[in-house]
Amino acid sequence: MSKAEAKPENQFEPKIIAFLCNWCTYAGADLAGTGRKEYQANVRIIKLPCTGGIDPLFLIKAFERGADGILVSGCHPGDCHYNSGNYHARRRWNVFRPLLEFCGINPDRIQFSWISAAEGGKWVETINGIVDAVRELGPFESYQKLNTIGPETSGGATDASSETG
Amino acid sequence: MEKLLNKNKFDTLIAGLKKQGYKTVAPKKDNRLVTLEEIQDASEISLDHVVTNNSIKEFFFPKTEKILSYTIDKNKVEMEEPKGFAVKSVIFGSRPCDAFSLPVMDKVFNWDCSDKFWVERREAITIVTISCDKSDSYCFCTSVGLAPDAKQGSDVLLTKISNDEYLVETVTEKGENLVKELESVFSGPPSGTPDRQVATVEEKFDLKKIKPWLDENFEHDVWDDFSNKCIGCGACTFVCPTCHCFDIVDECTMTKGDRVKNWDGCQFTMFTMHTSGHNPRSTQGMRWRQRIMHKFKYYIEKFDSTLCVGCGRCSRVCPADMNISEMLELIDTEAGK
Amino acid sequence: MIEELRKKAEELLKNDTVKVVFGYGEGSVPERTRPVFITKPEDVNKLTWNKYCVYNLTTYLKRQETRKLGKPAIIVKGCDARTIIVLLKECQLKREDVYILGVTCDGVGDPLATKCKACDVHTPLIYDDLVGEKIDNKEVPFEERYAELDDLEKLDEKEKWEFWQKQFSKCIKCYACSNMCPLCFCDRCIVEKNQPQWIDSSAHARGNLSWNVTRAYHLAGRCINCEECQRVCPVDIPLNLLNKKLAKEAEKNFDYRPGYSVDDELAMSTYKEEDNQEFFK
Repeated sequence: MSKAEAKPENQFEPKIIAFLCNWCTYAGADLAGTGRKEYQANVRIIKLPCTGGIDPLFLIKAFERGADGILVSGCHPGDCHYNSGNYHARRRWNVFRPLLEFCGINPDRIQFSWISAAEGGKWVETINGIVDAVRELGPFESYQKLNTIGPETSGGATDASSETG
Repeated sequence: MEKLLNKNKFDTLIAGLKKQGYKTVAPKKDNRLVTLEEIQDASEISLDHVVTNNSIKEFFFPKTEKILSYTIDKNKVEMEEPKGFAVKSVIFGSRPCDAFSLPVMDKVFNWDCSDKFWVERREAITIVTISCDKSDSYCFCTSVGLAPDAKQGSDVLLTKISNDEYLVETVTEKGENLVKELESVFSGPPSGTPDRQVATVEEKFDLKKIKPWLDENFEHDVWDDFSNKCIGCGACTFVCPTCHCFDIVDECTMTKGDRVKNWDGCQFTMFTMHTSGHNPRSTQGMRWRQRIMHKFKYYIEKFDSTLCVGCGRCSRVCPADMNISEMLELIDTEAGK
Repeated sequence: MIEELRKKAEELLKNDTVKVVFGYGEGSVPERTRPVFITKPEDVNKLTWNKYCVYNLTTYLKRQETRKLGKPAIIVKGCDARTIIVLLKECQLKREDVYILGVTCDGVGDPLATKCKACDVHTPLIYDDLVGEKIDNKEVPFEERYAELDDLEKLDEKEKWEFWQKQFSKCIKCYACSNMCPLCFCDRCIVEKNQPQWIDSSAHARGNLSWNVTRAYHLAGRCINCEECQRVCPVDIPLNLLNKKLAKEAEKNFDYRPGYSVDDELAMSTYKEEDNQEFFK
């Protein structure tokens, strides 16, 4: 489903935030662009120098602000521009992912990949894959219920935390 | 007005309150703690405790609440004030120490400006207190001028007179109206002098000696010595029914936001941290001193009232066993020297 | 045991090996002890030892008020001693700056603390002096050590979410957990930073989830499960379940248990080329 086919109306469009490393995956995404490859437009990219610099707190913040799914992607092990950043990142996700799962967050909402600067095709595949998977799961309502910023009338959900309200 | 209430009428009472549109809060057992929370029927009530883990403070001054919300759209800012935060409720099963915290806190929440979040909730909530028929070694209400069956702050006071029966005394007009609303639940009035089963709480220190000593001993080794074990958390300030410091923070995105009022505590290291980096209360001894001074000197000077009701919650939850009545006993002894 | 402890403490203070002894003293009620800081040899009678000595006193090694008392001798149980090993590895402490007075222990708490049920450090692994009868440190199998998690891990995604939302809704952001934790030693915690405010300091559902998950994550591969955070929580949130889950994952994925050997590499500061990456596409 990589071509923009006629989509059913009112189809849920997930918001995917992608934390990418500058040297590999971002370049790969760029390559997909210059190669005029089409893919679903649900992804918003946040470029970082290295996956080693991604604090798991960024993921929590992304969910807090309305992300339905998150992609973290960087250089293949052994190819990190800074030698070992992706190895350290890999260790972190090995513990952070089970922690989120333990708290009741579906692990399929957070996907990880190694995509190199030459893998424009893999980028397209990965994005389409995660968008479809998260579309299946639906909007991340349980987390969004916690996102109560703003007036109640404007769409900031009711403040579920108020003790007597 | 004096009436009687039998334990077997509790479910009728709670059902009646629900029918009259009151949200009911009562002590409920949750694992190893008894906490005041909203209940739906009388079977959830648990009364076999000294004090609940939380105080009634959170029903008038919640741990977090929005005081203002806004949206920003090009040149326009639209603001919305929260509504409906003052819900008509009954707190059934408060303790006299808790109830007394309300008139004490009324003074500061109506001081230089009237805090509508406090005031409107005060109007909407009726307090039905149950006198204490037991106490533990952490209680010291009698040392701060209260008693296990004190009436101040309550709208209705219940006191056990037998295994199944409570003496019901209305204290305020609000309380009288509540009893009238649910007349059928109550019986009586009692005949003769009821046998009030009230706990004995030993006086631990002489309150009259505390302030004069504090007036003279801002600098004293005891502040550091006593607070060495304090870890500087907010447990004591947050469970205290009379601690009322708060922090106002803005939580926002580019297009909308909230101004939120949160509990804050003077025991935190950062509480008095200035933007310059200077911290006037940089050691735990200074912060512990502030706690004692505020409760037993400054609040008396400002509002003619001690900022402590002797419930002992701070000492029960303290991770490091800082015991406030022990501190005051120490001051009492020092003052006597 | 108490007499031996007091004697040792007196000796250490008298010959100026240390300036202060961190130990346990009688609490405000018989069922509690409290941390005491003995600076004078004549005060050693304040020290006690009983089943209520649950505190992990190593937390006072990070606080400026107790650090300024001078070089300490610290009374540690086996679990507490593991914290010291982690603090040494993380360069928070120099070995020569602390005198470790180890005590052998067969369990504290009444009822017995959960951590004691699967203890394999009855005799501390690091000490300058040992008080008490040496108890064998028997190995406890993996499943037994993490048995506490079984019930929760069996729940489905929705039930897990509801369980933790209910628990986190109780949180009042008092930070007793992180203040008591010896390994939460950042001068300014991430929650205290507001340019930007990464973790909402408010005690609403969003802020509570963010705080508790982040704190647990920051202890991954470091927490030795002394369960102090859980003990001190004024609203009884089962915090140790989160920490235990991370300890289980660290052990499963990296074959690492913090606090057992000063020679181990810290799990989160190192890596292996063959680390698990099954979940990477």
